[in-house]
Amino acid sequence: MKPEHIRNFSIVAHIDHGKSTLADQLLLKTGAITERQFREQILDDLDVERERGITVKARAVAIHYTPPEPGSPTYELNLIDTPGHVDFHYEVSRSLAACEGALLIIDAFQGVQAQTVANAYAAIESNLEIIPVVNKIDLPVTRVDEVLEEVETILGLDASGALKVSAKKGTGVEDVLDAIIQRIPAPNGDPKAPLKALVFDSKYDPYRGVITYLRIAEGTIRKGEKIKFLKAGTTHEAIELGQFRPGMVECDQLGPGQVGYIVTGIKELGNVHVGDTVTHAAAPTSSPFAGYKDPKPMVFCGMFPIDATDFEKLREELEKMSLNDASFSFAPETSDALGFGFRCGFLGMLHMEIIQQRLEDEADVGLIQTAPNVTYEIAKRDGEVFLIDNPLDVPDVGRIEEFREPIARVTFILPASNIGVIMQLCEDRRGVYKTTEYLGPERAQLIYELPLAEIIYDLHDKLKSATRGYGTMDYEVIGFRAADLVKMDILVKGARVDALSTIVHRDMAERRGRQLVKKLKQEIPKHQFEVALQAAIGARVIARETISAYRKNVTAKCYGGDITRKRKLLQKQKEGKKRMKQFGQVEIPQKAFLSVLEAGNED
Amino acid sequence: MVTPLSTPRAAYVHVPFCAHRCGYCDFTLVAGKDHLAGRYLAALEQELRTLGQPREVETLFVGGGTPTQLAADELERLLELMREWLILTSGGEFSVEANPAGLTEEKVEALHRYGVNRVSLGVQSFSAPLLEVLERDHREADIERAIERLRGGIENISLDLIFAVPGQTLENWRETLQRAIDFGPDHISTYGLTFEKGTAFWARRERGELLSADDALERSMYELAMDLLPEHGLRQYELSNFARAGRECRHNEVYWAGLGYYGFGPGAASYVEGVRRTNHRSVTTWLKRMEAGDSAVGESEELSIEGRAREAIWLGLRRTRGIGRKRFRESFGVDLEVLAGETIRRQVDAGLIDTEGDRIRLTREGRLMADTVAVEFL
Ligand SMILES: Nc1nc2c(ncn2[C@@H]2O[C@H](COP(=O)(O)OP(=O)(O)O)[C@@H](O)[C@H]2O)c(=O)[nH]1
Ligand code: SF4
Repeated sequence: MKPEHIRNFSIVAHIDHGKSTLADQLLLKTGAITERQFREQILDDLDVERERGITVKARAVAIHYTPPEPGSPTYELNLIDTPGHVDFHYEVSRSLAACEGALLIIDAFQGVQAQTVANAYAAIESNLEIIPVVNKIDLPVTRVDEVLEEVETILGLDASGALKVSAKKGTGVEDVLDAIIQRIPAPNGDPKAPLKALVFDSKYDPYRGVITYLRIAEGTIRKGEKIKFLKAGTTHEAIELGQFRPGMVECDQLGPGQVGYIVTGIKELGNVHVGDTVTHAAAPTSSPFAGYKDPKPMVFCGMFPIDATDFEKLREELEKMSLNDASFSFAPETSDALGFGFRCGFLGMLHMEIIQQRLEDEADVGLIQTAPNVTYEIAKRDGEVFLIDNPLDVPDVGRIEEFREPIARVTFILPASNIGVIMQLCEDRRGVYKTTEYLGPERAQLIYELPLAEIIYDLHDKLKSATRGYGTMDYEVIGFRAADLVKMDILVKGARVDALSTIVHRDMAERRGRQLVKKLKQEIPKHQFEVALQAAIGARVIARETISAYRKNVTAKCYGGDITRKRKLLQKQKEGKKRMKQFGQVEIPQKAFLSVLEAGNED
Repeated sequence: MVTPLSTPRAAYVHVPFCAHRCGYCDFTLVAGKDHLAGRYLAALEQELRTLGQPREVETLFVGGGTPTQLAADELERLLELMREWLILTSGGEFSVEANPAGLTEEKVEALHRYGVNRVSLGVQSFSAPLLEVLERDHREADIERAIERLRGGIENISLDLIFAVPGQTLENWRETLQRAIDFGPDHISTYGLTFEKGTAFWARRERGELLSADDALERSMYELAMDLLPEHGLRQYELSNFARAGRECRHNEVYWAGLGYYGFGPGAASYVEGVRRTNHRSVTTWLKRMEAGDSAVGESEELSIEGRAREAIWLGLRRTRGIGRKRFRESFGVDLEVLAGETIRRQVDAGLIDTEGDRIRLTREGRLMADTVAVEFL
């Protein structure tokens, strides 16, 4: 395939604006899939993602298209998919690096949203040709003109060439294909130059091992050749070569501008680094790509098997997860309350939920998960500086010079009438105001710097309810900042339950403490004795509640017709009890360990 | 000796009619559909026929619903059918549940004529406001009249009482118990009101219109019954049941002993050769199935040897006498110690179970926490 007949592009959009639907339409219109397959969002292959409508793992599809004009050549259009969510910023950038252009989809009614902005900026930074596409023009109510204005004012893009389509109905899809060919630059590159290919993604396949996604910049790669991963320094054979169309289709060679996959026999995802350069072992390129930094997990939580004997099984399951997802990390930890488990690291809350969901679906292990916390940086008096990802690792107050927490820059896009509420929300959460910009008479972009801990605590839910779903947000961690932070412990019947400890800002400790013990009171069932719940900082108790004792628990009636039903009820209770963790004399249900997080949604 | 696998010596017949449905009730019944009585009796005959031949039993129990909701001639037809298929041995116990409202002389006379020797009367309360909360259709005067009539021929009279009714005070419960005692019954059953899913009470509580009684108050009420009734010769023999010596309900004791029984009518359960079958709980489905010659069974389970034994511990502990280890081993083929020795010791340590010689039984505190204990054994 000649480079001039190749186009490499991505589709970027805010969640639910129609990226997957348009991608499917492109495949449908070019005959790559059938009408029936169109019904299924074939670019997403993990169930969790489909449920959420988020393409988490970037993929690449090669579409062959011959425009209807007589004498037109056949083009190879490589659609490189990107995830749409904030947790996966880094994946967006690395996918964009393999493209020359991007379709920026904007919902004709909802207009520019927070992730539209984030994604558009990422595309601009990658020097891509951006084609704005207003989607869902079939909706009964649209705001196409205002949306185009938003594209110009917020994103600074020329909206005069914007396309108007309905991905659902298929309207305007030919225009999209046309624009891809006419407006996105063809890649260039010398097929005879030394091989230089960018690793922009990888995935694990149980039969083939690691599948590495490549974008060829220069030279040509052929099946069977000895190739080298420059950064990793490893040499392998290109056992299999191919493209996704959308199923895996083998080919003999890939030339400049082309996008495809190679199978090399590598077994572990961790051994393939996104951003690495693939070249010929015998005649390597002299100008490798700069590479990427591996993303650092910023959100952590503990995962413990309810049944201690499941520890090894859980380890295997977590290993399986990390095999598929190099940005997920885990390490063994021990808790007085929960025993042996793992400290797991995620890119953000969504990432955490996805992994959790998959563990629930795929692993047959009863889990207790502790409330998530962010990474903290601690500077000790003796000059030592280190990161902690577990509240239990906080050293004695006397030895801390500075307690630092991650700060994120948060972009909100919301109805102008909600600005006041959201500003209040941010102020209450220790936010530092940056800017406000009006996107039109009714919508505004608000920027704040907020502690990441506050963001994961409840900000998204609060934003959604305060704006009745119309507000959106996106954030990016910008660094660590010192704050007056303290560790808050929870005592159940006088004993500290380590898995319930959290790090909070001193000014908020009392309120959070009160909310938390109140929530725990609802979660922990009555016992035959009173159970005191206390929140404490050091030795100082800042909040308390008491769970009164169970006084009576007996089913009055039990005769012949009742026996089966009553026994089943009791057996169900027994199952429920198994899901609780015995802590001293007190049984604490699984769910209670997440109360730390949910307490915030009470008021 | 009688074991769970022996041929049943007990039979239950369910009569699914009531004048109307009380707000807390989730029993199998149709309210205000007395016209179905004819079809019901025909269907019941069909079901009895599945026995193949008449069976001899030591106890019979007719429950509901309200058996005495049947008109006098229908009631006679029911008793006639039972006489045909279920032969009561001499000295056998024959119980019928009755409600105070509409218990006519004629019906009592019919019961007597067919050998009914025990009636359990749904008194629930004597106080008008509480009867109203419970949506019962009788008043104190009906109770007095009903007891009067029963005295005419029924030797063993039992009164059912409910406590922990929304709005009920401990004082009111004391009066209720005392009033019941004053009638000199042979037997009293006390039931703490429960809110069952699907009832009007459940929905009203969900909406916050009805408040269930405070835990501590309910406990005091139950304790009061446990204290007061024995003082008047009514010994507690099961979690909810009190009787004069020799007047315990033998039929119900079959359930708690884990022995077999037959069951007829919608929602009725049978336990034959280790298989428990429960008839369909919908009255109309049961009717249609019987009329079509299909099986009435809605759900059936065959318990494993261990399952049977565990269930027997749970049920056996409901009885004040508890469980005898030797007898248990003979009946269920497993040793109590092997099956649950550790659990028993834990419950003893928690003060919920007492061991005495060969027997284990719930302590007084254990009776208040019987379900907490049961969960450990199942
Ligand atoms: N009315 C209408 N709905 C659309 C259109 N395109 C997509 N949708 C719907 O919008 C929702 C989100 O689409 P999807 O492609 O999953 O969005 P993604 O999250 O950006 O991949 C789905 O319910 C689609 O059916 C369109 O052109 N018109
Ligand atoms: S009378 Fe008894 S069986 Fe009939 S509805 Fe009322 S509580 Fe239920």
